[in-house]
Amino acid sequence: MTHLTGRTFKKMAAMASVGLLATVAACGGSGEGGEETIVIGYSAGLSGGAAEYGVNVQNGLKMAIDEVNEEGVEIDGKKYQVKLESLDDQYQPGTTGTNVQRLVEKEGASVVFIPHAGGIKAAQELNSGRTEFLIGAYSSDPAILDADNPLTVMIPPSFDSYVQPFIDKVKKKDDAKLGLMATASEFGQEWTKTTIKKWEESGGEVLAKNNIDYGTVSDFAGPVAKTLAGKPDVILVGGPSQPTALLIEEAREQGFTGAFLIADQAKFEELEEFTDPKNLNNSVGIMPLPLFEGTKDFIADYQEKYSSEKPVNADIALNYQALPIFIEAMKIAKSVDDPKAIRQAMPEAVKSVEGVFFVPNAVTDKGHLQADGLQAAYRNADGQYEPFDIEQPKE
Amino acid sequence: MTLFVQQLANGLALGGIYCLAAIGLTLVFGVLGFPNLAHGALYMLGAYLTFFFLTDVGLPYVVAILAAAVVLAFLGVVLERLVFHPLRNSPHTHHMIATVGVMFFLVAVVQEIWGTGFLRMESPVNGQVSVAGAQVSWQRIIIIVTAVVVLLLLTWFLKRSPHGQAIEAIEQDRTGAALVGINPSMVSMVTFAVSLALVAIAAGLVAPINLLSPGMGDSLSLTVFAIIILGGLGSLPGAIIGGFTIAIAEVMAATYISVGAGEAAIFIILIAVLAIKPTGIFGTVTQR
Repeated sequence: MTHLTGRTFKKMAAMASVGLLATVAACGGSGEGGEETIVIGYSAGLSGGAAEYGVNVQNGLKMAIDEVNEEGVEIDGKKYQVKLESLDDQYQPGTTGTNVQRLVEKEGASVVFIPHAGGIKAAQELNSGRTEFLIGAYSSDPAILDADNPLTVMIPPSFDSYVQPFIDKVKKKDDAKLGLMATASEFGQEWTKTTIKKWEESGGEVLAKNNIDYGTVSDFAGPVAKTLAGKPDVILVGGPSQPTALLIEEAREQGFTGAFLIADQAKFEELEEFTDPKNLNNSVGIMPLPLFEGTKDFIADYQEKYSSEKPVNADIALNYQALPIFIEAMKIAKSVDDPKAIRQAMPEAVKSVEGVFFVPNAVTDKGHLQADGLQAAYRNADGQYEPFDIEQPKE
Repeated sequence: MTLFVQQLANGLALGGIYCLAAIGLTLVFGVLGFPNLAHGALYMLGAYLTFFFLTDVGLPYVVAILAAAVVLAFLGVVLERLVFHPLRNSPHTHHMIATVGVMFFLVAVVQEIWGTGFLRMESPVNGQVSVAGAQVSWQRIIIIVTAVVVLLLLTWFLKRSPHGQAIEAIEQDRTGAALVGINPSMVSMVTFAVSLALVAIAAGLVAPINLLSPGMGDSLSLTVFAIIILGGLGSLPGAIIGGFTIAIAEVMAATYISVGAGEAAIFIILIAVLAIKPTGIFGTVTQR
């Protein structure tokens, strides 16, 4: 080895890497003998601060895909393997656009799942032009449906359903004051707008907007002190669960005894992990997954599969049960690459699919999965969850 | 009034963090002449190491911070030897690009070991104290006190100890210092070690009131650069005054104008100062 000069070494290294690249490329080209592949695309934040959410949804999809493959997929007489192809977009809508193009044109995906409002909007501008693909949209922002995009299927319930019932739970007097501290993302702003509107309609007073970016703020104490100075009775919070928990804790430490109205991105079961659960008393939010009937087995299966002790939430479950609907629709449409036909088969497909909770039984014309029995929960002064029904608007 | 006191305490705590991070950055700039763009990532690593020593090893809080500071100081020496020393004769652009490489590397390593999600470090000291009606948590008082103590120790180190004096000598005149027998390589290593130890202490202090995530250094990085430009590149008093000025301006603008104004305030002050004094408040460093 001592005779190996720097130059020859570099040459050898270069050749070795070219060889390696060639091998990798060759591997990518060959399929698995006899079976063809259905590629399901996925673009989300898989690295960086809020990556956990992207990974949760990804795990839900993967788990569903593994089960679908185990059962075997046969479409129009041909056997298929389903495969998830994921790309990281760090929740930047611009990157989502690039990722989606690549997933559709290079990987051949005809269904792409996107779990954030900004990315969904970016993809909606791309999916009915030169390229066609179906968006599995996981965000509760009702603006996704208002876009009237014929190739979008919205998976979770719209947050429009939650706002009024949440207000009814925590607004104890007519002229109650509302503090605003939801996250500054597009989703958080939409929640804030809707809540302000409904709060004012019911005669309440709305304090200054203190939406902060949960991802970048170094200390919540300042914004919390500012909000509390307005003496709010209720504070709207909500973004990724973990920073939301910290914000709630800070407000309680500074002496806030009123109620929290928690936007549906934050989940009670995750908040409990990140702050003393006592701080969450007197709050309203979406119901923890374990409280829904029939979710116990799913939670256990998931935790075993991913050897995870973290809470299993609705994001995971809803995506897990949505994926088979798309595969079923492909079977009915007898096509794996015609997004329009797959979308048309969705209303038929939802009927035959089983799920964990809040199982869809219809698809609206706008492409929203519908289910009965939506519930939310109020966590009372004793730390008990009081479930209550949410009436969903007809679409 | 209560609100003002509350926010002043919050501003001072934030200022302490900014100071510790900014001094490390300004030291490296003063001695080596390039901005360390990996500073935010090193801050993030410092927080994760404190978390590791506190939660997994079970050391007491203060010892955990010191342990993290020692590990990062050692890492500083390694980085200087492996990455920056071989580049000593290249243009400074190369150093900057190398620091970007270090940044991506550290973020990837942390993601690999601790995952991409948020981590919460339990606050080792709980409870608040009431100051003029405002509720100030003990953790924030600890931050302010520690920052002051560390700043005093650092001043002593730079003014009184041979290594510290060598750093100052190199900052003032690299060739002259070499002529009187100061070894620039040694000084580079010590500077990196001190800079990284300081940023680890800042991170260890902030960890209990913040969440740990691989991206936690990003926003700090930008603010800290604004601080050292405001104070004058390479200037220690500049970093201290800049740190507290920016932190208090940020908190007060957020309180009395709007939350969005807080972040804008940093850069409005920066532009105003640079318009009057382009080298920053204490700046003497010009393009070498």
